[in-house]
This record gives sequence, structure tokens and C-alpha cells, in this order.
Amino acid sequence: MLFALSPTQETTGYVAVATLLAIAGVFLLLPRPRGRFVPGGIALLIAAAAVFGTWLYRTFGQPMPDVIGSALFWLFSAGAVVFGTVLVTQRNPARGALAFAFVILSTCGLFLLLAATFLMAATIIIYAGAIVVTFLFVLMLSPSHAPTDENDRSREPLAGALAGFAFVGLVLLALFQTSLTNQRDHLLAQLVTPLEREKLAAAIAQLDAAEKALAGDTSTAVAREQRLAAFDAAFSPVRNALAEVVGVSSAEQIHSPQEGSLPQRLGRLGTVSGGPEKLFRADVAARQTLTQAATVRELLHRVPPTVEAIISMPAAGQPVDVATAQAEVRKLRDAVVLLHGAGLMPARNVANLGYGLYAEHLLAIELAGVLLLVATIGAVAISHRKREPLPTPDAKNAPAGVEGVQ
Amino acid sequence: MTITLWHFLAVATVLFGLGWVGFLTRRNLITMFLCAEMMLQGVAINFVAFAFYHGNLQGQAFVLFLLAVAACEAGIALALFVSLYRRQRSLDSSDWQHLREPGIPVAVDEEPLPAAPDERFPTLPPAGVRPASALGPEEVARV
Repeated sequence: MLFALSPTQETTGYVAVATLLAIAGVFLLLPRPRGRFVPGGIALLIAAAAVFGTWLYRTFGQPMPDVIGSALFWLFSAGAVVFGTVLVTQRNPARGALAFAFVILSTCGLFLLLAATFLMAATIIIYAGAIVVTFLFVLMLSPSHAPTDENDRSREPLAGALAGFAFVGLVLLALFQTSLTNQRDHLLAQLVTPLEREKLAAAIAQLDAAEKALAGDTSTAVAREQRLAAFDAAFSPVRNALAEVVGVSSAEQIHSPQEGSLPQRLGRLGTVSGGPEKLFRADVAARQTLTQAATVRELLHRVPPTVEAIISMPAAGQPVDVATAQAEVRKLRDAVVLLHGAGLMPARNVANLGYGLYAEHLLAIELAGVLLLVATIGAVAISHRKREPLPTPDAKNAPAGVEGVQ
Repeated sequence: MTITLWHFLAVATVLFGLGWVGFLTRRNLITMFLCAEMMLQGVAINFVAFAFYHGNLQGQAFVLFLLAVAACEAGIALALFVSLYRRQRSLDSSDWQHLREPGIPVAVDEEPLPAAPDERFPTLPPAGVRPASALGPEEVARV
């Protein structure tokens, strides 16, 4: 290669080129009486998107484990950005409002990807009303199809595009640099890494198989031996996989800073240095994850001997209690499922959000209600038309009478 | 690639920046209002993304307040549009540039607007009356 560039230099180049192309494209697209060139602007914007996409692919492209999630993310974010550009550059405000509706829908898709189901619904409901009202205003206040000052002129198109996109480019660059240095930082230390999540998911399936292996004929000692052998065959990979994730015992030596079981990693975050890591230690989610990992570890030690004892040594004269053994395995499975979902958002989004709002932010809710009331009164006061006083029957005489009194 | 916090922050930044450009450059009050709402959406994505990666709901609660403030803003803004429109019969924000700071020059639109296409509708003569001047004699003959 001709130039050996560091990742930061390469990123700077890509982001700068994309930013310049975007500035030029939006400048060409913004409405003006003369010099507006729509095909060129669109081509420049597509070029900017292509440069940015190339950088994304080269930097983060491989590997790509979560294909559906990634595809949805790119779909929604591309929708938001494309329709946002349409809103900014569209002459007709009614079409702009339509593009804004699509921006809102794409944003709601992103909310859904971020496990904010209630916010998604609330945003759609609120902004649907807002957009319909905006439509009414456009229809009411935009009188004709003739070119008008407000729709066909822009205020300082070049300076405006420069200001906005310079800001975007700088923030993207800063984001990239912090993402390089903060990859192991407290904010982004995933509680359960994707690799661990895969192992846990495999363990759940294997535990199901082990539970099934316990069922069957247990009348003779030979049959019981067979059941136990099948159970062991299904259980031993689970034991190894889970031991890698949650550790064998709670007091293990830390070998290297990069790897280790989940309790080691989370514990290390709290002990390596002060500052934000302390905040992370205080984080409820991390503590819950550690507790769940400890539960899994304890069950992992307890379940196999218990199952073996139940199967191989039934009480005299009683049938073998397969159901209890299976319940033990299921306990371990449930604990693994909980650990598998640790750090993800709670599934009961609406209930938890409502609880948080009314338990922790009650005063703020009241203030927001007062704000809405004041805004309503203010809107009425602003748009209230002051009526001319109605002419009274003796209107002609009234001024004279008033003067006469004075 | 796994989608991380940074990806969501990047989308939020782009939305915020686009809204900013629109708010600075567009002159239609309604479009400016929509661009401001788009900036708010970018901020909301930031909050929700941070809430997701912290594993708590504080960010989502904040976005609910943000929605409330956005609703207030929409109400006040639309009321302002109505009263401004009553005075100037226009949604152009530059009609109000006499409210600017002292010492800042007036922005003048130099280039003329393109001429509107002439769409005059035909006016029909009253029934039973011979049109006097609308049609010349040869056209009358053709009809």
C-alpha cells in the first residue's frame, strides 16, 4: 500500500470525505430560486452514504453474528436518515410532514430494537396526532401552488449545511475515538458477552435433552444404569460449558485481563481502578448477574449428585422418583435461562417503566402535567382573536355621551 | 458486526445534525418546527440507547418527559404560527426579521422567484348573451 495509515487517520479521511460530499449534496438540494440541482445533489448524497458505508464495513464488517438484528438496525437507521434528508430538502411542506412521519416510524423501529416497547407505542400515538395537525396547518396556511419565499428560498444554504454537517462529522469522529479507547469501559462492558450467551443457549438445549434422557423405564438396576449413562452423556458438555462461563468456584485466580469467567470479569471491573468502575459495581444489573451466576454455579455442583442419588438408590418398595430428578434439572435450566437473559432489558417494559415513573419521579410527573396545562392555556391565549366590540344600537351617540360625561 | 451503543449514537447524531441544518436554513415555519422535532428524536434515541446499555429504565423515563415537553412545544408553536400568519399572511420566518438584533444587516432576497405557471381558468359568458370581445369574428366563425 502506498500510504500506511493508522486507523484514526483512515477514519478521519473517510468521515471527512463523507462529510464534504454530504455538505455539497444538501447544498445542491436546498430550495433556491437558481442553482438548485436535484439529480446532482442526490448523487452526491448517495456517494456520501457509500463512503460512510465503506468505512463502516471496513472497520466493523467482520464478523457479523446477529444478521437479523443488524439488518433491522440498518433498515431503520437508513430510513430515518433518508427521510430526514427529504424533510430538510423538500420544497412542499406537506410532503415534508409525510417524510417526518416516516422518520418517526423509523425511530420507533430503533426504539423497538432497544427494547423500549412502551416508548415506541407512545411516540407513534403522540406524533401521529402531531403530524395530522401539522398537515391541517399546511393545508390551511399554504394558499397556492405558486413559488413562495418560504418554500422556495433557503436562508444561507451553504453556511447552514456546513455548520450542521461539520458538527455531525466531528461528533462521529469523537464517537469513533471513544469507542476505540472505551471498549472495555464500564458503560459498555456487556454483562454477558455474545460468546457466553451462545454457550448458555447451547447449555439450555442440552439440559432439555438431559431432562428427557431421565424419562423412561427405571424398573431394573440395569435400566437405571442406562438412564444415568444417558443423563451423564447429555450433561457432561453442559458441565464444561457452564464452568467456563460461571467459573468452578467463587475464589479463582485471575490469569489475564482479557478472559476469564463472568464473575472474574465483572469482579475485575470493580477492582482494577476507581472512578466510573465503582459506579458500575453499584449498578444493579451487574450485581444481579453475579448473583445469578452464583446460583448457576451452586446448582451445577448440586444437581448431578442429587439426580444420581435419586435414580440409583430408590427407597425400598417405592418406584423411582423420576419427576423429582427432572425437576432438579429444570431448576438448573431455569437458572441458566435467567443468566442467559441477564443484562437485557426487563421484558415487562410497561409495568417497570410505570413503576419507575410513579415511584421515583412523582414530582417530575406532576411538574410535567403542570407544564402541559400551562402550555394549553398559553396556546389559547396566544391564538385568541381579540374581537372588535360589537356595535351597540346607539353606537353613534355613545362617543358623544362618553365625552359629555367627562 | 454486533450493533453496539456507538451505532445508535451515530444515527442519533445524524438525525440531530439534519434537523439542525433544516432549522437553520429553511424558512417555512412549519418545516422549521418539524426539523426541531427531528432534533428531539435524535436526543430521544440517545437516551433510549444509553438506557438499554446501562440495563435500567431511567433513560426511557426521561424520554417520556421529553415527549411531554415536545407536546407543549408543538402546541405553543402552532398557536404562534396562527397568530403570526394573521399579521403577515405568510409563513415565511424572514418576514419577521425586523425583530433581529441591532447592527445586523437586512437579508435581502436578490434572485427573483421563478414565475408561477399561468393557470387562469376560463370564464364563461352568461347564457344567452353573445360574447362581445372574448372571441374574434374568425373564431366565432370556426365555432
